[in-house]
Amino acid sequence: MSAKKKEYGTFNGITMNCELKTKERSGVINPIFTCQPAGAQFASIGIRDCIGIVHGGQGCVMFVRLLISQHFKESFEIASSSVHEDGAVFGALNRVEEAVDVLLMRYPDVKVIPIITTCSTEVIGDDVDGVVIKLNEELLSTKYAGREVHLIPIHCPSFVGSMVTGYDTAVKDFVAYFAEKSEPNGKINLLTGWVNPGDVTELKHLLSEMEIDATVLFEIEGFDSPLMPDGNHVSHGNTTIADLKDTANAYGTYALNRYEGTKAAKYLENKFSIPSIIGPTPIGIRNTDTFLKNLKKMTGKPIPESLVRERGRALDALTDLVHMFLADKKVAIYGNPDLVIGLAEFCLDLEMKPKLLLLGDDNVTYGDDPRIKALQENVDYDMEIVANADLWDLEDRIANQGLELDLILGHSKGRFVAIDHNIPMVRVGFPTYDRAGLHRYPVVGYGGATWLAEQMANALFTDMEYKKNKEWVLNVW
Amino acid sequence: MPYHEFDCSKCIPERKKHAVVKGPEDDLTKALPLGYLNTIPGSISERGCAYCGAKHVIGTPMKDVIHISHGPTGCTYDTWQTKRYISDNGNFQLKRTFATDVKEKHIVFGAEKLLKQNIIEAFKAFPDIRRMTIYQTCATALIGDDIDAIAQEVMDEMPDVDIFVCNSPGFGGPSQSGGHHKINIAWINQKVGNVEPEITSDYVINYVGEYNIQGDQEVMLDYFKRMGIQVLSSFTGNGSYDDLRAMHRAHLNVLECARSAEYICNELRVRYGIPRLDIDGFGFEPLSSSLMKIAKFFGIEERAQKIIDEETARWKPELEWYKERLKGKKICLWPGGSKLWHWANVIHEEMGLDVVSVYTKFGHQGDMEKGIARCEVGALAIDDPNELEGLEAMYKLKPDIILTGKRPGEVAKKIRVPYLNAHAYHNGPYKGYEGWVRFARDIYNAIYSPIHRLSYLDISKDEIPEDGGFMTQRMYSDVNLPEEVTKSDSMREYTGKYNIIDDLHKKEYPEFNKKQ
Repeated sequence: MSAKKKEYGTFNGITMNCELKTKERSGVINPIFTCQPAGAQFASIGIRDCIGIVHGGQGCVMFVRLLISQHFKESFEIASSSVHEDGAVFGALNRVEEAVDVLLMRYPDVKVIPIITTCSTEVIGDDVDGVVIKLNEELLSTKYAGREVHLIPIHCPSFVGSMVTGYDTAVKDFVAYFAEKSEPNGKINLLTGWVNPGDVTELKHLLSEMEIDATVLFEIEGFDSPLMPDGNHVSHGNTTIADLKDTANAYGTYALNRYEGTKAAKYLENKFSIPSIIGPTPIGIRNTDTFLKNLKKMTGKPIPESLVRERGRALDALTDLVHMFLADKKVAIYGNPDLVIGLAEFCLDLEMKPKLLLLGDDNVTYGDDPRIKALQENVDYDMEIVANADLWDLEDRIANQGLELDLILGHSKGRFVAIDHNIPMVRVGFPTYDRAGLHRYPVVGYGGATWLAEQMANALFTDMEYKKNKEWVLNVW
Repeated sequence: MPYHEFDCSKCIPERKKHAVVKGPEDDLTKALPLGYLNTIPGSISERGCAYCGAKHVIGTPMKDVIHISHGPTGCTYDTWQTKRYISDNGNFQLKRTFATDVKEKHIVFGAEKLLKQNIIEAFKAFPDIRRMTIYQTCATALIGDDIDAIAQEVMDEMPDVDIFVCNSPGFGGPSQSGGHHKINIAWINQKVGNVEPEITSDYVINYVGEYNIQGDQEVMLDYFKRMGIQVLSSFTGNGSYDDLRAMHRAHLNVLECARSAEYICNELRVRYGIPRLDIDGFGFEPLSSSLMKIAKFFGIEERAQKIIDEETARWKPELEWYKERLKGKKICLWPGGSKLWHWANVIHEEMGLDVVSVYTKFGHQGDMEKGIARCEVGALAIDDPNELEGLEAMYKLKPDIILTGKRPGEVAKKIRVPYLNAHAYHNGPYKGYEGWVRFARDIYNAIYSPIHRLSYLDISKDEIPEDGGFMTQRMYSDVNLPEEVTKSDSMREYTGKYNIIDDLHKKEYPEFNKKQ
């Protein structure tokens, strides 16, 4: 991508601008993202009675299960085709066949099996689509005749895109496989993107206040699963096959994120003429307002008084914080692109100054994103937006290029940047394994706006006390 | 036949010979499960890949090195920050990870040029670090990039740097164990003998197969230094790249994890005549006899005895306190490899726990041989257990605690079996005398956790007990203990600090005069 540069203007002789550039190095030092199969795996666990098979080496599953487990403090079921040397040399489709059989024999409830490819099996050219046809014609129609089983190939070469595109692709592949036109269901489809259980709860709350019935992809509140007296050994999502089929019968699709779910929304629009709205990600007051306005437009339902009050409570909380504590605080933000952009917009509303936004993959369409264009046109101080970025893009600027920051917003993989440079940090996004229970809280909606702003304020307060930096200010606040 | 067939695995008969119950009359020829065979696809095994075995387990604990994975970012991202191998130089190896970021065009046209750019960029970003390891991944193995040639090219152009290459793609073998082997052999072939060390003691060892999880290596180093032994290198926890190039000058290889690092010891014996001594840093008795074995090799028994006496006197009363309270509790030892045999008997002998099951994720039959020989009769030994087998075993055995990894640990939590992390530890280090007491303390805390007890109560059906506003672990653990135990003056709870490693960095050691 060529670097774009939009000059805003000149203030007191200093040029202010917001640049969108790409990382200058060819390699990655401390990546922001993992690869596509991880995104597909994350999508797969949102579906009930679904266990994916990742076709590749065992690490591609084992470490992704670990990553998800680190984040949620729960175990999730994903299988591997366990490709070893012989498979790499002679082809490994027999491993997929065996994996499907073993999984079906031992997990009687499993109905949905996405077969997620990886770099190794894409490079050797295993015909996963072909083996699915073969399995459908042979194994499933003989040994498993009468059992509902859906095999869905999902192509995730790790050398293309990132975990974000892997998620986007998988959501689309699931929807495209199942969506089936029958009677209008009077619902909308809500594609949440890569979020936490707390976000889904908040979104469902907003929909319920608006009296809107929705198919939520994916129903992942169950990831925050209880420890019950009778024991239940895994956490899983609750989106059903019926939910996925019914996506074809909605009267509208709302994809909250431009980069996580839009492919599915566009598929439904093209195939079933279901109108779709893409974004903006409802992070912050203003984006939540837009979300509700769009919902109103899509459904004809009014925005109720209860949400006016809820919004008011959020505004009240934010007003307590903004001029006194948050104003002019310089922030760096990294993570999933919709999250990063949404957080940056919210920070601007909070009178803060996002200085550096890091988008961790080489998606060439970032420059076309209207939200990025708006930042480029309107930001009145120096801001950098770096695509294909890594966490060294953050640390190098702090350590060697004089970037001064008051706060970092991002996921746990960047924790040492904050720790080593004594910069307060609010963990947000995926994964956030070095803080307790963050997946239970939303970043979207009015509730999310309040929670985020208060997290940021409390992080700054703790830092003031730790560094004895005007900590006495808080005496009379 | 002692083979144990899991109900959940009846449909995959090849699993049948992977689990045995140790019977009273069985000898090992009868009671040995199959091991290190290809994983059954779709079984939801806990095994990793040969890339992680090489890069993540053995390569990355080296502390003064840029560790680059040549492939897409996923391999390095996913293995990054998932272990606790600390170092005494600021944890560079935990904080930094490097990937060449191979994209589709590189798959088609080759990624060697990209690799070279990466190497140069990385050295430029970290000018103080002049050493590098490069790990092949599935993608770059399949496209056939010649990593060795690129590394040599850079070394020719930049004489102040040194680069090690490990070709161990993820698909290379049934588990991470394949990667352990490859990196062992690659290291001795490429690097050992390249550097001549300064010898400062009459007694010189390599400390091998030790990864400094939560500081284990530093605890053991403390004993070696107190004995006046020079530790030439640590393979690889808290280890230094150049020190490891000088392994050929040691008098003795002291080996902890024979599963992951016996290969290099065996090669050092063949090529340089350095003997291998297997030791065991876990547990008072195994540790004491290990220190004494090393001392006997060098003829410095009195130095070892001094440490054994001091440490035992300091920590034994604390270990005994826990032993009295852990007696008869059932434990599943479900680690990855060597802890299977390191813990199998000593946890029974010194903490009083009954080992009802042992398992290994990536161990070989030789590991099972050692584990089963040491564990108790009746124990269920499982090779490469999968999710359902683990669950079935827990339901059947009803252990009071399980020592395993993060994912199976979360499964155990849900069926209300407390778990401790066997790989990364809860509050380690667990090696050394004090470490062993910390281990006992963690086990005690997990078994007698008041919150854990609450999870058995079904408030909709059960009588809600009126036992006051709180319970303590002592109220549970001491309820049936005799007064001579509960009021004993000779035993006490753990008295150490939360962080015991930082103090070791400040410690001064006696000087022993070198004879030659």
